[in-house]
Amino acid sequence: MKNNRICAVLVRVTLVIFLAALATFLSLLLSSLQPYPQPFYAFAQIQQNAALSLSNLIKQGAAYQGTTSAPVTLIDFSDLQCHLCDRFVKATEPIINSTYVQTGKVAFVFLHLPNRGFDSFPAALAAQCTNDQGKFWQYHNLLYDNQGPIDSGWASKDNLKKFASQITGLDMQKFNSCFDSQKNNTIVENNVALAHSLGFTQTPSFIIVKNDGSNPQKLEGPQPFPEFKFLLDKELGGP
Amino acid sequence: MTVSNISKKQESISNLKTTIPFAFKIVFQNRVHIVIAVAVFTIFWIAFNIFDQLLFFSPVVTFYLPDDAMAGFILTNLISMLMGILVAMNIFAIRNSKLKLDKSLFSGSILGIASSTCASCSSIGFLVISAFGGFGILATDFLTNYQTPLRIVSIAILLWASYTVHNKITKPCTFNALTDNNHEKQTTPP
Repeated sequence: MKNNRICAVLVRVTLVIFLAALATFLSLLLSSLQPYPQPFYAFAQIQQNAALSLSNLIKQGAAYQGTTSAPVTLIDFSDLQCHLCDRFVKATEPIINSTYVQTGKVAFVFLHLPNRGFDSFPAALAAQCTNDQGKFWQYHNLLYDNQGPIDSGWASKDNLKKFASQITGLDMQKFNSCFDSQKNNTIVENNVALAHSLGFTQTPSFIIVKNDGSNPQKLEGPQPFPEFKFLLDKELGGP
Repeated sequence: MTVSNISKKQESISNLKTTIPFAFKIVFQNRVHIVIAVAVFTIFWIAFNIFDQLLFFSPVVTFYLPDDAMAGFILTNLISMLMGILVAMNIFAIRNSKLKLDKSLFSGSILGIASSTCASCSSIGFLVISAFGGFGILATDFLTNYQTPLRIVSIAILLWASYTVHNKITKPCTFNALTDNNHEKQTTPP
């Protein structure tokens, strides 16, 4: 009798959990299938054009690849602890780089959205300090190559300094001074604020804009090359 | 553990070699159950691959399998397959059982549902939970770092659930066969 009651309670609890999971799944699926809401475009076009222009992003201290005259900019909001960002870096970014960035069609900009763990923000600060010395991409690749489980200690402050010391030509005294004083705190916080203003909460998230920041197109998640190709070609006015 | 217990266990394991194919045969000889299993497998396969960011519908439909996602993809395929088989077997058991839904059948269903929820959470958890600040970060860490073990646990639960439902399907026959044999022995003149 008592077992039957426990069984009935378990059935109900499990069903509630299952239904909640199903509802979450359906809402996520529906939101992924819906086109981006019109207010986003209106807001982005009017308010964000200046903020998203390549010249402004460079002025704000963003790391970038490609030429400043590239007609289209691909902005990547990533977290250096995020394994899906690592997937994008290893699987998709090289193809985008060889197809669009090296050919001068697209400029690739990296902005920080450190939300995966407690070590993410210090990692972003450290990366930004290497950018001050023009070594951002070496450090970026080094961190992704050595990425471990989130907050497992691989991105502790000491380890971030050790990784920096492996980069040839990096002035460690300048780096340590920049990192310890949290000199680039405002830059990273501004990146996070920009990401949130665009509605990004997950990493990696991308926005494709024209050189002046107009006509934004959003992509979320470590999407494969065909997804980027479709939007980049559209933005470039190609096929 | 006594010798008789060990021999009983060995006997029950060797019985599985015949009862599992038998359960599969009686469930999947009906095409409806094959359709149900395939449908459930397809739904879970699509759901898992969306959550694992391997399947995309917008702006173009694309599926890709990067190296780092291979292990997870194999595990989610196994979970989807087991879910399909389990749901079909449960439906067979419900449709064909003259008995009321009892504990063993429910336990199979509960375990199936719980494991699918668990498996889903291991994928979508970090998408949903990242909205909850510091606690969310800790939960995200756990779900992301332990995604593979969670999936292995859910496979184990699904296998156990399948075993329970298989028992439900095959045991009545064994029981009937035994009682029939006893009845024959009793009625046969010496």
